[in-house]
Amino acid sequence: MMELIAALLLLLFLSVGFAGAALVDGMLPAFLAGQSRPSWRRPIADAARLLQTQRIRTEAPDALLWFLAPVLYLALAIIGLAVIPFGPGLVTIPSEVGIVVWGSCEALTIVAVFMFGWSANAPLPLIGAYRYVAIALPAMLLSMFVLIGAALPAESLGFTEIVEAQRRVWNVVRQPAGLILFLMLGLAISLRGPFDYADPADLAGGTTADVSGPMVLAWKIARLTMLVSVSAVTATAFLGGYLGPLLPGFVWLLLKTALILVVLVGAGNFFARMPPARMMSVIWTMLLPLSFLMLLAVGVELLLWG
Amino acid sequence: MAVSVLSNWAGEAPVAVFVAIGEGMRDRLERLFNDARFVRAASPRHAAIFLIAGRMRLEDREDLRRLHDQMPHPRVTLLWNAEVGEALGDAEVFTGSTLEVDIEASEAGRSDDAVRDRLEKLWQELASGERSSEPDLLHDEPPNSWEGIGPHGQGGQGMMGGTPYGRPMAMTSDDLRDGLALDLYTARFGPFLPMFPPGLLLEMTLQGDVIQSVKVVRPPLSQAGGNDVPAALLRLARLLDVLGLPVLGQRARLAAVGGATSVPLEKLSRAIHWAGATLAIPRGLGAVEGYGDTRTRFANLVSVANGFSPAMWPGLTRSAHLSSILPGLEWSEAMLVLNSFDDETLSTLAAIVEGADEDRDGHDHDSGHMHHDHGGPHDHDRHQGHGGRGSHLGNDYHGRHGGHA
Amino acid sequence: MEIVPWVFLIGILSVLCIRGVHGVRHSATAPQQLPFLGGGTPDTHAWQRYHIRYYSMTLLFIAFEMEMMFMYPWAVVFVEEGGMAMMEMGMFLAILSIGIVYAWREGVFRWQ
Repeated sequence: MMELIAALLLLLFLSVGFAGAALVDGMLPAFLAGQSRPSWRRPIADAARLLQTQRIRTEAPDALLWFLAPVLYLALAIIGLAVIPFGPGLVTIPSEVGIVVWGSCEALTIVAVFMFGWSANAPLPLIGAYRYVAIALPAMLLSMFVLIGAALPAESLGFTEIVEAQRRVWNVVRQPAGLILFLMLGLAISLRGPFDYADPADLAGGTTADVSGPMVLAWKIARLTMLVSVSAVTATAFLGGYLGPLLPGFVWLLLKTALILVVLVGAGNFFARMPPARMMSVIWTMLLPLSFLMLLAVGVELLLWG
Repeated sequence: MAVSVLSNWAGEAPVAVFVAIGEGMRDRLERLFNDARFVRAASPRHAAIFLIAGRMRLEDREDLRRLHDQMPHPRVTLLWNAEVGEALGDAEVFTGSTLEVDIEASEAGRSDDAVRDRLEKLWQELASGERSSEPDLLHDEPPNSWEGIGPHGQGGQGMMGGTPYGRPMAMTSDDLRDGLALDLYTARFGPFLPMFPPGLLLEMTLQGDVIQSVKVVRPPLSQAGGNDVPAALLRLARLLDVLGLPVLGQRARLAAVGGATSVPLEKLSRAIHWAGATLAIPRGLGAVEGYGDTRTRFANLVSVANGFSPAMWPGLTRSAHLSSILPGLEWSEAMLVLNSFDDETLSTLAAIVEGADEDRDGHDHDSGHMHHDHGGPHDHDRHQGHGGRGSHLGNDYHGRHGGHA
Repeated sequence: MEIVPWVFLIGILSVLCIRGVHGVRHSATAPQQLPFLGGGTPDTHAWQRYHIRYYSMTLLFIAFEMEMMFMYPWAVVFVEEGGMAMMEMGMFLAILSIGIVYAWREGVFRWQ
């Protein structure tokens, strides 16, 4: 019964979250750029335009993978969200290893993005696909170290326990740098700003450069859904998830998710993107050791005061 | 019913335009897209209107026709001060003010508004179905006849050769950086690639995403760029776009126009600083003697936003050329380098070199006059592509390319 | 976990719906199919024995990925085991960190 309610809440969360994400993503950059009158109708109008545009295939593409790539991306986003509790016991997939499930969704995202870039049999998408793998692989490591740091105080890999363990103090206090590292992962798996190595401007849209009409729309939807999911996971792992006074847990999670989502969209527009080689070595030689230190700090804190 | 609702909504969408920029129109086009009603599409696949602005060369017409046909239906073309003959069929023509140097600023503004209105009207008609989509200009024929042999059409012998689906497969050659013999991808990039200077057509050979050789097929079309503050800001904006900062790029464009909504320049340069844009550009990238490296050129443009006047470069002393600067660079590094030069320098760097007939195996680094000196302080690890004369084996590269982390 | 196949089904159906809007032409002609290069043309297919410049990094990645597998159970028992678990994982991470330094010195994180 609880799972059914949770599944309905998941649908509600997805639709509200997606609508919010589309609005924020459509309006915030225009607002930041100083453009006049960004309208809320714009994302819907744009979707209608894409729906009425012809879908083009390229010369000898891998049509099946091309179709399955946005499907996989979207499904991974939804499954990742399904392990997040909306309240005590209110979770669609009650899993004791929620972190591992989410981690595999992250990892398979690389496959989805690669498939999308590969299938067109065109140079610019292909370069985007290969280069994304180089950045996303080490970014996965970052996120898993950070999530392990969140799991230590909970003595469990389940998200419900991780939330309950934050009743005394939120994880963001325990590992503030962990939150920042996890936000970077959020940028990487929703293909944004400084971590957007798959669809960047220097490749004329990268994996989307040879995709038109409805498939562009499907890809956008999958990206935005992943943005919602990763924001919800961040809110759960670091900001106490559904915990909060007065309002129901579901609403608290929604509010915290919205906050993270705005931060992610803003950050995606405010930091420069390095050439991939440089970024790869920054992740390995600076960010990864930082995540080790964060883990160490959490461990020491637990041993001394836990 | 459902379709007409969709059409109504689609009519409200921002107009997605793919632009082919001709002579002298680039800066004007960038101002045109300061308007939120328009989106400049990165690829014709994302656009509904093909805007051809400014005079084009005769040779560009075939490329324009190909771009036109790459757009999805529904689509429409608008020619703005463009002279392309009958190449684009019976496309819409807009003749506003011509591009004489001394046109009044207000008149140019009015004409920009008129183009915007025309674009918007075209999209309305297209979305509502009043205007029918343009048919293909080229014949519906596959590029080559099918020559595949075998069950999958892989053709040829063993792993090599054959032309599956009417196009050959890539063949191997040694890599510039580590000497591995993997496939070479040769194609003509441009002349209207959005991150390229307009008109520049390069025949490049890639291995993975590293450029192995470059031959300039057509130089960039001349632009009335100049070296004043607005021109420098627009140049900065293009670099910011490539760096993944379109929001700041847009602000730089607004500042270049000096409209009411533009932000103070100090705020812009502070935002660029905090974005880490300078740090994102590797040191020593694309160094040209007398012109510094890409990072210094970028810093100079940012200092324009800080109130300094644009830097004057001494002029090219050596015969530096794109075909010696770009090889050995990774794709996004190469895009940063390409966008970091001012128009005049770039046209010198991209001059067609007489008698530089590259051999067809994709290595052009034996044409000696294209070399430039390695003496510059930033020049240490970026130009392996042409210095070593065939000694590009792994160890060679390995030793000189100290970690740039 | 029974929901997982359903999610995939929903994904497939929704993308199918998005693709197949009524009244839109879908077949592409030969000139439409040409890959986008800004007007230029390619010599060959884009699929190739692609030079993956970070191949040595992926080997290092596997080492860390295996390390993750030990880390999951470790995280659960960490508080129970206390200092001992801390020492063990500390040593493990220290060895891996030396690995990173060595790999960096060898130029693994460069675009080869």
